[in-house]
Amino acid sequence: MEKVLGDKKAIALFIVPPLLLFIGVVFIPIIWSIVYSLYSGMPGVKFDFVGLSNYTKMMQDKTFWQAFWMNMRYVGIVTSGQILFGLLMAMIFQFAIKKYKVFVRTIVFFPVVLPSVAVAQLFSKMFEITPSYGLINALLEVMGLTELIQPWLGQGGTAFGVLCIMDIWTAIGFYAVIIYGALVDIPGEVIEAAQIDGANSFQLFRRILIPLLKPILTTCFIFSLSGTLKMFESATALTKGGPGVATRSLSMFMYNTSFTYSEYGYGSTVAVFILIECLVATCLVGLISKKLKGDV
Amino acid sequence: MKSKLLMGALSLALCTSLLGGCGSGKGTASEPTQKAAEAPKETAKEAEKPAGEKKTIKFLSIWPEDKDNSKLILELTEEYKKENPNFDMEFEYIAPDDLVSKIKVLLASDDLPDVFAYESGEPLAELIDAGAVVDMEAALQDLGIADCVDEGAKSLLKTLVDGRGLYDLPLGLNIEGMWYNKALFEKAGIAEAPKTWDELEAACDKLMAAGIQPIAGGGKDKWPLTRLLNAYIMRSIGVDAMLEVKQGKRKMTDPEFVKAAEVIQNMVKKGYFGQGVTTVDQGTAVSMVLNGQAAMHYNGSWVTENLNSADNAAGPEGIGYFNIPTVAGGPGKLDEYSMNCGNILTFSSKKYDAATADWVKYVFTRMGDKAITDYGAFKGFKINNMPSSLTYYTNIVADNLKAAKGSSLWFEGRFDAKTSKIAQDYVQTLFNGEITPEEYMTAIQDSLDGK
Repeated sequence: MEKVLGDKKAIALFIVPPLLLFIGVVFIPIIWSIVYSLYSGMPGVKFDFVGLSNYTKMMQDKTFWQAFWMNMRYVGIVTSGQILFGLLMAMIFQFAIKKYKVFVRTIVFFPVVLPSVAVAQLFSKMFEITPSYGLINALLEVMGLTELIQPWLGQGGTAFGVLCIMDIWTAIGFYAVIIYGALVDIPGEVIEAAQIDGANSFQLFRRILIPLLKPILTTCFIFSLSGTLKMFESATALTKGGPGVATRSLSMFMYNTSFTYSEYGYGSTVAVFILIECLVATCLVGLISKKLKGDV
Repeated sequence: MKSKLLMGALSLALCTSLLGGCGSGKGTASEPTQKAAEAPKETAKEAEKPAGEKKTIKFLSIWPEDKDNSKLILELTEEYKKENPNFDMEFEYIAPDDLVSKIKVLLASDDLPDVFAYESGEPLAELIDAGAVVDMEAALQDLGIADCVDEGAKSLLKTLVDGRGLYDLPLGLNIEGMWYNKALFEKAGIAEAPKTWDELEAACDKLMAAGIQPIAGGGKDKWPLTRLLNAYIMRSIGVDAMLEVKQGKRKMTDPEFVKAAEVIQNMVKKGYFGQGVTTVDQGTAVSMVLNGQAAMHYNGSWVTENLNSADNAAGPEGIGYFNIPTVAGGPGKLDEYSMNCGNILTFSSKKYDAATADWVKYVFTRMGDKAITDYGAFKGFKINNMPSSLTYYTNIVADNLKAAKGSSLWFEGRFDAKTSKIAQDYVQTLFNGEITPEEYMTAIQDSLDGK
């Protein structure tokens, strides 16, 4: 096996086809987009070269910044929620669940494989108010908390909240399983030794588990960031960006600009911005984890 | 030898997985363009064949094959095929939300379908200016059937594209207004349908006192809400109010327009629209009125298809209609209607040829009659043989179409795509009280001014 994989020709045969595919499907369109961002209008109908003025336009565009900050709030809440609850779930798998381990893990992972549109339909119905109360409003009524009954998806603030809850719930299983895999790798002796040394649960968690889980947590962060920065389908399926523009992310703004308003040039500019955003985020995560490794 | 076999097996596995990866793609933005580029290639080949040989035209529709306009056109095409066995039609369905974007992509790759549904107004104007669609007025005249399109529909369609001409065919001739559940009105003690806006609000108060939700609004779909704004504006400012905004004679930020938004917002605040109006889609709103869960609902006469169906819980005469009530002190009159031709049908100029023209002649001289006979619907085509008995609901539409003396387009009818989207997106926040009427109108005016 090593002879096969060590052979340069074998390496070339394995790497070259995917590399070509990557260049064709990812790299070339990126360059194409960057070129498009220097133009304005719609290719085939009216496409004029405008240089960098799309970028200055974007910096001054109120609607762009509104979408950007919505995206940032979403990233902050959902990424931390996904990782935190994933970590919590993984700890529960490891330390709290004694029987039916595989069954519980399967159930928790189930939402990950559901299609986003199906989950959005589920949550729309759950938070419904007209023509009849959905699950949440009905529960509030039963509990006597009728002042809290409201059109959850019909108001900007609560619609955003429901979107965050939906996306955190969908992804918990995924991160739980990844982190659990890393938890299981921690030798039992390390934990026993710490307990013998008199560490309580909190110290055990903070001093032993977290440092040992750092590499996997960094990977999870990168996974989560790349998903939340580019969020599109869940908000589109749930609220179509409404009410108003309360749940319109940067990707949805880009979609509107390019395909609804037919401004492909400006839309490509937003796309380039999202690309740079993702690269910066990944670099930041890498830098921070290196710095933290140095402290430990 | 063994390692060569292993190498061979591994490379085969690699290549197969590579091809497998090509087949299943996630829904990225590049994929639709790929599909859109592939599909028209087939029809391009067909279009090159000379007439007399097999001719296949592609029809891109926003109604499923067995419904509404698709069903009408496909059934008429089947009849045509019996006399013209060389003719065939390829049907493709697309969701209404995706229609304009798909057509724009096809326009950019110069591969529009032979015949497709589209939106009149700005979207069609763009196609006309690009020379991509057929001048139907001229085409119909060449075929000797210039009068197959109803005159009212013709003038509406021409107005929608600022008088550029007739480049499309109507797929509806609709009036809009309030449809109400007669039993619920009776229960609340409302003797007759409101004629003035004050009477309308009084009726809403009576309904609320009787524990009935006065109005069901399809807020999730956004457009039903802007129609309500348009209704008040038509009566309080005039039937040409939005045209004057387009011409620059008025601004959306003028006090009269802000007042309209304020009136509607107050109606929501008083609870006339029930709870969570922005979470209900138009289909649900219609069912609410038919099932007696709400009393009134603003919609266009295309809703008669629901009303005429056997599923209508209110029965064959249980729903009434009244036109938008007049506003005290406003110039609007009861014989002025909000009218439209629904989505329209247009033809790719590149692919239009004698075979397509022959098909057009057959189908659209029969469209008017078939629509009224099979569906009780008015499609904007000349009706040669009006059926002797129409349903109660179809008669309502027929009577009001006859009575119409003035017409207005819908709220976003003269807006560009961006302003139209802003008007629709923010109407939800206007309805749930998150923005003020001034802010709403300012947002629209800013977009019109190009800010």
